[in-house]
Amino acid sequence: MAEQQKKNKNLVRDISFRVAKAAVKAILVYLLYFLVAPMLAPLFGLIPGLLESIEVFVAVYIVLMILGDLTAKTVFQYFFGTARALFFMAYLLLSMGDSVFSTSYENFSLTVNLTIFYTIMVLLSLLGFATTILQAINFMHEKAEASSNLQL
Amino acid sequence: MNVPIRALGIATSIFWIFLIGFIALAAYSVKDLNFDIGEPQFAASPDGQLMFSLPLYIDNRGYYSLKEFYLSTVFSDAEGAEISRANTFVPVIPHGENVTILHNVTLSADSLFEKGEQYLFNDNNLSVAVTAGLNFAEIFPAQISTNFTFPWGAPFYNFALGEPTFGRFNSTHGAVAVPMSFENHAFFDLIGNIRIELYDSGNSLLGESQTAFNVPQYSSYDGDAEFHVPLNTASLSAAQNGHCNVYFSTPIFEYGPLVIPYG
Repeated sequence: MAEQQKKNKNLVRDISFRVAKAAVKAILVYLLYFLVAPMLAPLFGLIPGLLESIEVFVAVYIVLMILGDLTAKTVFQYFFGTARALFFMAYLLLSMGDSVFSTSYENFSLTVNLTIFYTIMVLLSLLGFATTILQAINFMHEKAEASSNLQL
Repeated sequence: MNVPIRALGIATSIFWIFLIGFIALAAYSVKDLNFDIGEPQFAASPDGQLMFSLPLYIDNRGYYSLKEFYLSTVFSDAEGAEISRANTFVPVIPHGENVTILHNVTLSADSLFEKGEQYLFNDNNLSVAVTAGLNFAEIFPAQISTNFTFPWGAPFYNFALGEPTFGRFNSTHGAVAVPMSFENHAFFDLIGNIRIELYDSGNSLLGESQTAFNVPQYSSYDGDAEFHVPLNTASLSAAQNGHCNVYFSTPIFEYGPLVIPYG
């Protein structure tokens, strides 16, 4: 009975810790967005829809991050980690289009070729994606090893 | 397997930090880039070339060198036909340096006036397409382009010959004075001479006149072209109307004949 109570207490503490960790991380990411967004303000006027696009990205990213933290120490943590990495890559690939950023102001037209920059970002995202997959495999492997040890 | 995965995670984080740092430095460097355009200089060379020099001052106080800087200008007429094209290329503008680039555009006066009298006698607007580009921080090739009109001032704006006035020069020849006026709207001083051939209604050459002129830019010219024509009844009656063939000769260009009827 006492052991069950202790177990429940630990579970509550563990869940509280996860919630606190998720909340702190979410606040930090939102704070980063809150600080960086005003610096990008001149761009918002030039590129219609950029602000909305970034807002959606930050919202989805934070939700996936919170879900990942809440499901820590389970296989779902890696599902959400993978989903976050895939979402990041998909967002990059969809937003980059032909990798050329063009904008016009009065009769001036500015074109910046972001191909190399986007390629580096996608490669880094792929590295992150590979890491989460490896973590998931490792988690499943450790779990399988633990259950086979118990059977023995 | 835990250690390699952790190492991979750390490496990924380090790469992201590098990339974010690089972007932050690049953004900070853009703030410290200074581009300035100087006063354009105009000159006319004796070989018939109109030179237009545009000084560009680039102060690169950023952390990255600017590579493959280029500036291209294309002058075209109202119909869109290309008149002149000029390119300036600078391989590297190192960081921390102040560089002055002179962009020279050459307009061939002869080829310009060949395209039509409009550039010689009427003010016009030339279309200019400017494209400038550079490779910033090695991974951001950028290009800016714009179009504007360049006012072209005609060197013989409003060129006109008045009605000839007949007088007596000596017992055999009469003196004919033809008033001549124009305004030099060009960005260069105009030095040269105008040769006028006076023809009567029967298309016979009555006389020829050469008038030297020196008209500074943005000033006007008023003068008379003097002819000596033979005095006989037939020629005088035929000279009441006819036409003048006008030939312009300057060190920059030659043009003619411009046919102007009189009478």
